[in-house]
Amino acid sequence: MTGQNSDGAIRVMVVDDHPIWREGVARDLTERGLDVVATAPDAPAAVRIATAVRPDVVLMDLNLGPTSGVDAIAEIARTSPDSRVLVLSASGEHADVLEAVKAGALGYLVKSAGVDELLEAIRRTARGVAVFTPGLAGLVLGEYRRLAEAPKLADGAPAVPALTERETEVLRLVAKGMTAKQIAAKLVVSHRTVESHVQNTLRKLQLHNRSQLVRYAIEQGLAD
Amino acid sequence: MTSLPERARSRAQGATLVDMEHPLEPFWRGIIAYRLLTLLTVVGVTVYHLPGGYERPAAAVGVLLVMAVWTAVTSWGYLGGLPGAPDGRARLAVADLLVCVATMATTPWIVRAAHLDDGGPGMGSIWTSGAVLACAVAFRIRGGLLAALAISAALVLSKQRFGVLELGDIQLLVLAGLTVGFASHVLERTAARLRRLTAEQAAAGERERLTRSIHDGVLQVLAHVQRRGAEIGGDATELGVLAGEQETALRALLAGPGTTDARGRRDLAAALRILASDRVTVSAPGRPVELAAPVVDEVEGAVRAALANVAQHAGAGARAWVLVEELPGTLEVSVRDDGPGIPEGRLAEAEAQGRLGVSRSIRGRVEEIGGTLRLDTGPEIGTEWVIALERGQR
Repeated sequence: MTGQNSDGAIRVMVVDDHPIWREGVARDLTERGLDVVATAPDAPAAVRIATAVRPDVVLMDLNLGPTSGVDAIAEIARTSPDSRVLVLSASGEHADVLEAVKAGALGYLVKSAGVDELLEAIRRTARGVAVFTPGLAGLVLGEYRRLAEAPKLADGAPAVPALTERETEVLRLVAKGMTAKQIAAKLVVSHRTVESHVQNTLRKLQLHNRSQLVRYAIEQGLAD
Repeated sequence: MTSLPERARSRAQGATLVDMEHPLEPFWRGIIAYRLLTLLTVVGVTVYHLPGGYERPAAAVGVLLVMAVWTAVTSWGYLGGLPGAPDGRARLAVADLLVCVATMATTPWIVRAAHLDDGGPGMGSIWTSGAVLACAVAFRIRGGLLAALAISAALVLSKQRFGVLELGDIQLLVLAGLTVGFASHVLERTAARLRRLTAEQAAAGERERLTRSIHDGVLQVLAHVQRRGAEIGGDATELGVLAGEQETALRALLAGPGTTDARGRRDLAAALRILASDRVTVSAPGRPVELAAPVVDEVEGAVRAALANVAQHAGAGARAWVLVEELPGTLEVSVRDDGPGIPEGRLAEAEAQGRLGVSRSIRGRVEEIGGTLRLDTGPEIGTEWVIALERGQR
């Protein structure tokens, strides 16, 4: 899976409720050689269109008027599992960003990021590589801490995921603003190892979130 | 000025707001009830003793009438019906005190000495203690005490007697004045605290409402201008940078520094997030990191000092990252910059440059709250201050 169409261009869908922004980003990405296959103004449209169009990358704002981007991400992860979601948010809503990542988003970028930064993030997302800002690393560290300190769940509850010592170390350095290259040099490991550590921290969190949802569904008698 | 019907309506709408805005209102109403009850008592006692107890029975009845009228006037006034209410009630309480003293002063002229000798009451009697309560509510402890002494003096002078009976009355008057005055003081203070908290909550709610609407408009446009500015280049670059700065500033303003809750605790993450800018990234857990408000203030001050240090010594282009992390048993706040760092063996020189002068100001704040400060530096990693606090002191 290369995450690219026959021309080699990444197929992107832009979801944002603000038309100026939506069209502006779509135009920028097209000019830079990406294939913007669809845009959507709200969560229901995003889910419907993503399911039909199956883009490689969904560029998603979290603040979609009355609808929630987080719900749309969870839904897209279910109906269009090959589409990767990159959150592009102007919001300082840290809790939302964390929920979005737990729901399956592969990374997070603030809207004030430059075009080059955005392009690089989309390319990484298309390759299935997590896009970690220092802010996201701080949120994820905090989430693991919260899980570790939460009261022990009843028998049969999914085991609480924990970070290895090395993963914690890597995530902490990301949160302190070091690049993957700097981290690799400091820990004397390869660049790739650093990225896979970062990736794992996210994957464990998403798995835990999903198993919790399933468990909740079974408890509520909603599962078929 | 609130009219009676308005006040009745606001009472019907729910006592909480009224209690908070006018916490002493129930006291005033209580004084009115007390006034009416004591008036009935005094009327009853006077009528019972009218044959034989009074030198001038007609005058006694006249004084009773004046007392009844005055009770009506003060009731109306204490409910807030007089002009200048509710502040006018303080003046009315003083007038009340004077009327009560004047009533008592008629005693030698109206009441038979023999009646007083038998333990009979003077004019006004227990009814006059209402003025002590009114002064206590209006002027707190000092007002209650002074009014009690004034009524006590009037009691002794008008009856020209000072026995066990009078001493008991005086004790009760002083006790009532002190108690009600103290209670009013405490109630007023509590209500003021409640008002402040409610105002903070309202401000936070309003900020949230503003945030929602501004998110979809102004912030998006500013972010867009920033991006387009960088795209177009030339003079537009500067416009883009300006828009970006305003976006960051506006977002920080909307997020707010966090408010102190009823337990005196504040979210450290919210307090530090407002320090974010295009050069400074703040990372923290998604849930609030609640600490005692003074601790948050000191940590915020220390982080500000560290960031100022970055701007001053690591060059204008240096970036900085603030990380708030909850570890088992400790809370760590680190401030790292990507400047050249302080090469080994040059700490003394750095101190001479004033760089460690900043260190002292950071250290001072951290030690103030019982934390520890660590400095990691080197050419590869920049300079990193780590503030550690025991999580037990949260």
